[in-house]
Amino acid sequence: MKIDHSQPLEYGTHQNQMNILGFWIFLGAEIMLFGTLFASYFTLENGVGNGPSGAEIFEITPVLMETIILLTSSFTIGLATHAMRINNKKATLAFLAITLVLGLSFLSVEVYEFIHYYHVGATLQTSGFTAILLTTLGTHGAHVTFGLFWGFFILLQIKKRGFTPETTNKSFIFSLYWHFLDVVWIFIFSFIYLKGMM
Amino acid sequence: MKELFPAKQVIGFVFSLILTAVALTVYFLDMSFEMGITILLVTAFIQAALQLVFFMHAGESEDKKAIYTNVYYGIAIALVTVFGTLLTLIWGYM
Repeated sequence: MKIDHSQPLEYGTHQNQMNILGFWIFLGAEIMLFGTLFASYFTLENGVGNGPSGAEIFEITPVLMETIILLTSSFTIGLATHAMRINNKKATLAFLAITLVLGLSFLSVEVYEFIHYYHVGATLQTSGFTAILLTTLGTHGAHVTFGLFWGFFILLQIKKRGFTPETTNKSFIFSLYWHFLDVVWIFIFSFIYLKGMM
Repeated sequence: MKELFPAKQVIGFVFSLILTAVALTVYFLDMSFEMGITILLVTAFIQAALQLVFFMHAGESEDKKAIYTNVYYGIAIALVTVFGTLLTLIWGYM
């Protein structure tokens, strides 16, 4: 295997470069997926029927907590990638672990939020609005849940094998995924929550 | 310790917090719908661009061109989907 040492290790082989490019193409498709969810949300958001509207069920405190937690986790995964590039295994593992703990906290707040919606009578079957709201939030939440498992296995691999062209490539790609989830959340925060509470 | 917190990442993080605070003004201050949506559109898209460039290292590899072309393609399709839907299903009936 030919390793180009003028590049960071995660780009070092041809295979690695292709993996990263391939993942960007996947992210392009994910942008379109969330685009369709937002299009459906804007279409259905006024169809509240006998159920509650966004302004009635959204709470600023949990939403703000989720936003700050996810923004911070996006920062710490960026620091993990940086630590990896300066070959600091301990710091990489620490930042990766912090990111996963923040991801888990985000998910706990979201679960609390979903329970709250259930108690105020906003379920998947209540109205067009609640259906698309929970589908959009749930799709994002499912991505975060998947990311938690993925990130945890990468953490174990780096711990066991150290920095190799494979493990650095995997953790770089994971960091792209995690940043992407933060970008999606920014749009959910702005155009679902803040717009709904305005 | 200092080398673990590069300026670029810290600045990116601080900016994203500031943009979040600006977006929050639509909730805490009284303003028209048009004004609020304008603020949200501006803060959300700047913040997304910030993540892409500061954190995702989008411009640093050899296939930079292919990566940006693909991202712009995804964004264009998403925007056409969202605004096309609004145009045909919502705005047309107002």
